[in-house]
Amino acid sequence: MAKLDLIDIRKTYPKSDLETLKGINISIEPGEFLILVGPSGCGKSTLMNTIAGLEDISSGEIRINDVDVSGLAPKDRDIAMVFQSYALYPNMTVRENMAFGLKIRKTPTTEIDAEIKRVSELLQIDHLLDRKPSQLSGGQQQRVAMGRALARRPKLYLFDEPLSNLDAKLRVEMRTEVKKLHQRLGTTIVYVTHDQIEAMTLADRIAVMKAGEVQQLGSPYEIYNHPTNMFVAGFMGSPSMNFVPITVLENSDGHACTELTGSDGKAQLLALPDKLKTYVGKKLMLGLRPEHISQQLSHHSETDLISAARFNIEILEPTGPETIAQITINDHAVHCRLAPDLSITAGQDLDLMIDVSKASFFDPDSERNILL
Amino acid sequence: MPVTHTNTPAPLASTTPWQDKMQVWLPKLILSPTIVVTLICVYGFVIWTGLLSFTKSRFLPQFDFVGWRQYERLLNNDRWITACENLLIFGGLFIAICLLIGVLLAIFLDQKIQQEGMIRTIYLYPMALSFIVTGTAWKWILNPGLGLENLVHQMGFTDFKFDWLVNSDMAVYTLVIAAVWQSSGFVMALFLAGLRGIDSSIINAAQIDGASKPRIYWSIILPCLRPVFFSAIIILSHLAIKSFDLVTALTSGGPGYSSDLPALFMYSHSFTRGQMGLGAASAIMMLAGILAILVPYLYSELRGKRNA
Amino acid sequence: MHSSSTSQGDNGLGRWLIYGVLALMALVYLLPLFVMLVTSFKTGTDIRTGSLISLPQEWVTDSWQAAWGTACTGVTCDGIKGYFWNSIKMVVPAVLISTFIGAFNGYVISKWRFKGSDLFFSLMLFGCFLPFQLVLLPMAAMLGKLGLANTTTGLVLVHVIYGVAFTTLFFRNYYINVPDELVKAAKLDGAGFFTIFWAILLPISKPIIMVTIIWQFTSIWNDFLFGVVYSGADSQPITVALNNLVNTSTGVKAYNVDMAAAIIAALPTLLVYFVAGKYFVRGLTAGSVKG
Ligand SMILES: Nc1ncnc2c1ncn2[C@@H]1O[C@H](COP(=O)(O)OP(=O)(O)OP(=O)(O)O)[C@@H](O)[C@H]1O
Ligand SMILES: [Mg+2]
Repeated sequence: MAKLDLIDIRKTYPKSDLETLKGINISIEPGEFLILVGPSGCGKSTLMNTIAGLEDISSGEIRINDVDVSGLAPKDRDIAMVFQSYALYPNMTVRENMAFGLKIRKTPTTEIDAEIKRVSELLQIDHLLDRKPSQLSGGQQQRVAMGRALARRPKLYLFDEPLSNLDAKLRVEMRTEVKKLHQRLGTTIVYVTHDQIEAMTLADRIAVMKAGEVQQLGSPYEIYNHPTNMFVAGFMGSPSMNFVPITVLENSDGHACTELTGSDGKAQLLALPDKLKTYVGKKLMLGLRPEHISQQLSHHSETDLISAARFNIEILEPTGPETIAQITINDHAVHCRLAPDLSITAGQDLDLMIDVSKASFFDPDSERNILL
Repeated sequence: MPVTHTNTPAPLASTTPWQDKMQVWLPKLILSPTIVVTLICVYGFVIWTGLLSFTKSRFLPQFDFVGWRQYERLLNNDRWITACENLLIFGGLFIAICLLIGVLLAIFLDQKIQQEGMIRTIYLYPMALSFIVTGTAWKWILNPGLGLENLVHQMGFTDFKFDWLVNSDMAVYTLVIAAVWQSSGFVMALFLAGLRGIDSSIINAAQIDGASKPRIYWSIILPCLRPVFFSAIIILSHLAIKSFDLVTALTSGGPGYSSDLPALFMYSHSFTRGQMGLGAASAIMMLAGILAILVPYLYSELRGKRNA
Repeated sequence: MHSSSTSQGDNGLGRWLIYGVLALMALVYLLPLFVMLVTSFKTGTDIRTGSLISLPQEWVTDSWQAAWGTACTGVTCDGIKGYFWNSIKMVVPAVLISTFIGAFNGYVISKWRFKGSDLFFSLMLFGCFLPFQLVLLPMAAMLGKLGLANTTTGLVLVHVIYGVAFTTLFFRNYYINVPDELVKAAKLDGAGFFTIFWAILLPISKPIIMVTIIWQFTSIWNDFLFGVVYSGADSQPITVALNNLVNTSTGVKAYNVDMAAAIIAALPTLLVYFVAGKYFVRGLTAGSVKG
């Protein structure tokens, strides 16, 4: 178990005129599971490679257990990495794959055997030890790749989209497996994924990256419920958060509110948190997750910040456990999550409940969350 | 609950900074002999040959510069002019016929032919032979007295005359025959590989659209093979310009110098006739020929990549 | 593609035509080899009385023995056996050395890129396109300076120098398709430059090693230009000897001996071709078609 500190990591690739990493600062506690997410090309793999020592950094410091390793070769950093493509040595058996790193480190044979036994039992690949990677299924290859990483007992594990080549069902299985492993071994892990659910379920903390910068670093709960800006808000969650431009008004009681206009052009009032009273007359971006707009729930009485409103349902997309409906608010398409058993058809009007207490509000120019 | 490891594997045998430095330098070190040798023996030597072509070197290199004299001599040299004309005839026919045969055979072979493997092996084996062997064989086959001509006579056509090998107007065409025999199978292999690389769903779609087979080939498949055409032309013209062994073995440039080619001209002036300066100038002209073909090709290739 | 209902080319007549053309062309390609073979087994009189493609009246191996042991190649009359061995002495080291160097070069250029390595690769590719006439004269001077003129060692050197461009290209194109992650994983496992090469890349390189060896073997064995320019009387390779034998104008022209000698000269590469044709073809296309 190791502590990892990334201090103002900057990286510019030799032939590129753009900075790929623009000052990354992350401290990872011993045993923490940190997940990196971000759009393709934002520098996640680059960051992983710099941590591993496979790429040099242009400036900054990488500290493992408070020792600066930035200048060390990959082999001296005591890090293991699991790649999206698994990168199993094709000419070696599963056993040899796992033993390779240990052999190079001159570990005694008996110890190697014991280690392989431990890891292969842990991952349930002990019956595959004498096969070549080409004779394994994708899921088995994935396990072997993890086994190879585990066998060396490194200080730190790096996973670069390890599950993304698996089919959906296997991915869910392996996700649970990874979680169990982490809970059992308590290792420090940095993990890249494109899968929202993987990120939410596995992470102790999530770092959302964009264009070489960390946008927000926080627990899954914080990231999901208190995004610092519109990028993070829009990136996490599926369907993603709805953004509706609003103008803050003051109603006759002196509370903040706003008008929502449906596709029929009729305006309905929506109460807003009183914190927004300083913004009266200003334009804001209202961020509403789909689940915060639902059908009328009998046990959910209307409170201050849960308002009812009637909208025309334009499109219905049943997914099984829920139905995603599309409505229009202030000329913007908005998705809401409805119960699957609701008997409505597209084109109908429906009374919906909007839970503003969970909504986020952003400055339309800076895109920052104004309530944080 | 986190489980702490009890037995940690031995730490890596600590490497000295010297060894780490070595890892950085090793790749450069490994490549450097090749870099040095390439710079000297390819680029340096080409420059050297260029310099020689401006001297009046005869049997030995010497560096009395005479400007463009050798090039003037070259352009006024009948044998060189003939060699260049021959190269145009030989190269043009060789490339055209190889492409034609290669494409046709590849298309035919792509029709789910039984014994395809065997047929391919037969078409391609001449490529494994030396041009000297090819030249020797065809020199015998085309022998006016006892070869093909004789064969046709024995079949009853006694008027048949086939003396190209000793006919100064026709000797260059014997080079075409032998060279096509040797290389057309290779062109076929190139095109066959290209055909196999085409997404068969394109063809299926066209068939569903009701296009006839010849039409599919003409308007869909052949255009897809454009890159193969280009690389085949590059390779074949390269072969033609370098062509030295075949002409040496088959006609020795004769009768007279009627079937001479630049590569043979360069060799004989540089090494047997003691006209090193002239030989060097002819080599530089050959380079110019190669570049004239290669540069536009590479240019379009690079531009294509940038647009892609 | 096989559904005969939709495509006209698949009807009976069309297919017969295709098979006819293919078979005819196969005959055309085979004919010279056939002529060489039958001629080499004929007697001198048989050649003059028979026809090009007639079978020998009487199968004799005299010309084979003559070609191998007693025929005149220029001034000496010891057949081509000595030159056959010369070729072997030249080919084996040249192929092994150039393949070895090419493997390392390709490894560096594809997996240990450094500033300038890509530029160098493009510079080297030019070496594949260079007509060797451009380097003949300076190389002759250099071999002379090194004291290697007219020696087999000199020939080996020349073939290695100008073969490395091809071998490097082959290995580079092969290794570029090996995922970089494999090398990264090995680096993290603690493997260094040589360990990664020996333990990871070399074991999966068998096909490209075959391709390279066969390509180099064929082109060096068949080379005539370097052989005729840089070899001395006792280091001539077989192609040069064959050409001398055919063009030696003493006595009656012995076509049967010429053909036997030509077949002997062609035998090693033909053998390789028929045994490992798959790799030969792959080399030909890999050396030319990009990607
Ligand atoms: N070796 C390299 N040389 C130059 N630029 C590179 C190199 N590797 C990556 N880049 C660039 O750096 C940026 C970040 O790439 P990186 O692979 O880190 O993205 P990523 O976040 O991992 O994306 P993905 O989610 O698609 O894996 C990209 O714009 C990429 O083009
Ligand atoms: Mg990536």
